[in-house]
Amino acid sequence: MQTSELEQRQHAILPAPNHDELARQQFVRSFKEHLVAQVHPGNRLAYERRAKPGFIKKRGRVPQTRFEVGETMTQDPHYRMFSALLRTSQEMMWSAAQQPVQRDLDQLIEQAKKTGDSGGSLRLDPTLEVPRYHRAVDIHCQPGGYHTEIAEDDVAPGAIYDRAVFIYAMGQMGPDNADMGASAVAWLQENHPDLKPARILDLGCAVGHSTAPYAEAWPEAETHGIDVAAPMLRYAHARAEALGARVHFSQQNAEKTDFEDASFDLVVSHILLHETSATALRNIIAECHRLLKPGGMMLHAETPPYKNLEPFDAFMLDWDTRNNNEPFWGRSHEVDYVELSRKGGFDGDKVFETMAPSAYQTAQARRSKVFQGGDFGGGGLWFLYGAQK
Amino acid sequence: MSEKPRLKRKAKGERPYFHDDPAVDKLLAMLMGLTGEVSVLRDRLDTVERLAAERNLFTQDEIENYQPDEEALRARAARREALLSEVTRIIQAELEGLEDDDQGPYEEALALVHDDRPD
Repeated sequence: MQTSELEQRQHAILPAPNHDELARQQFVRSFKEHLVAQVHPGNRLAYERRAKPGFIKKRGRVPQTRFEVGETMTQDPHYRMFSALLRTSQEMMWSAAQQPVQRDLDQLIEQAKKTGDSGGSLRLDPTLEVPRYHRAVDIHCQPGGYHTEIAEDDVAPGAIYDRAVFIYAMGQMGPDNADMGASAVAWLQENHPDLKPARILDLGCAVGHSTAPYAEAWPEAETHGIDVAAPMLRYAHARAEALGARVHFSQQNAEKTDFEDASFDLVVSHILLHETSATALRNIIAECHRLLKPGGMMLHAETPPYKNLEPFDAFMLDWDTRNNNEPFWGRSHEVDYVELSRKGGFDGDKVFETMAPSAYQTAQARRSKVFQGGDFGGGGLWFLYGAQK
Repeated sequence: MSEKPRLKRKAKGERPYFHDDPAVDKLLAMLMGLTGEVSVLRDRLDTVERLAAERNLFTQDEIENYQPDEEALRARAARREALLSEVTRIIQAELEGLEDDDQGPYEEALALVHDDRPD
């Protein structure tokens, strides 16, 4: 495979699809690109020409909230067709990513056990309870979620996820799916050049695709990644070793870790917050505060909040809440970050929200330059929320 | 002989349907599954034709006159069944949801994460 936005970089633990499996995965990516470029834009047209006039006729005014937009848009035939196809593309993506893993599972498990020499580590906790908000539905429709294990020392959810992320982002996060981490790192280096973290923690790290850029940017630092799902972490460890990133993975809940008070200079997460719950989110921010040294930095990468979006755009960005097993997505995009941080112990004046440019510049020209459901990374920018302790 | 462990194929959670009749969504899913398989096949054929042309292996006439033997017939039948399973996946997905009793309304998941009760 090539190393470009056209294809993912093949590393030692990434499942190697056969000819037809690869063709099937590449079809799903083409299908998603087609939806983004050719079908999604029709939603605005359908809204302006059909759904909005219909709403005005009935209510005598324009829709004022994303909920009112939804009232009329969910009845629109184009939106329905788009939604049915987008949901199908998501299901086909997981199915296509599963195939080589199902075929090669024994070998993948064996391969994952061969530790590399990058100096990272893996610490699992079989007693850790997978939180209810993670078990209620399989997030973003990955069958079995992150935590289901079908074999001893299973790595399947990680192997499936690593491949699916590339297809999901249509290569827009680069050949190693590293763009969220890499963009946050680039933003930190530009805006906080004095930051020289000795200890870094990535919360909800999944396969460590966003963790690796931190270990690369600050090779002297001790970089940790935690997640609640053991099979993700086994894969993450093997992946990091294969890519030469020194990361220490441990199975922990970001709401309450076993790390000592004031033991990290930098605590980060990447699209973790919207996978939790109102209570968990508050716990996580308070835990960030506990873990940071004075002057330490908390930084969370997310998709942008709805507050600055037109009701139509907010409605479209909210597609995942009900249609892609992301129940907390909508609510988490309406959180008051200053208030949330204050409750967690941070000084409200030290809270910041910003848009950071995507570090993966080569894909820039192909991007749709908008934030829309089903076009992950298409905005060319990442939303960052954070605070200094 | 122990059976090979199988990955779960249905994501837990109530599946949304967007048309008044869910059958429309299901037919669309099948159509896209089918389109995907046609695309896979065309890519494979493209690989074969390019390799053959590169190496001067066979001609278009030989393809037209090819007679499959019994092994080939059997392999093709198995491949067709795999194709049909892929295309009609959504039918099985609904049944797997029934089988796993994964029919709880999505509202429960929404309520769970929105409530301020401790988890």
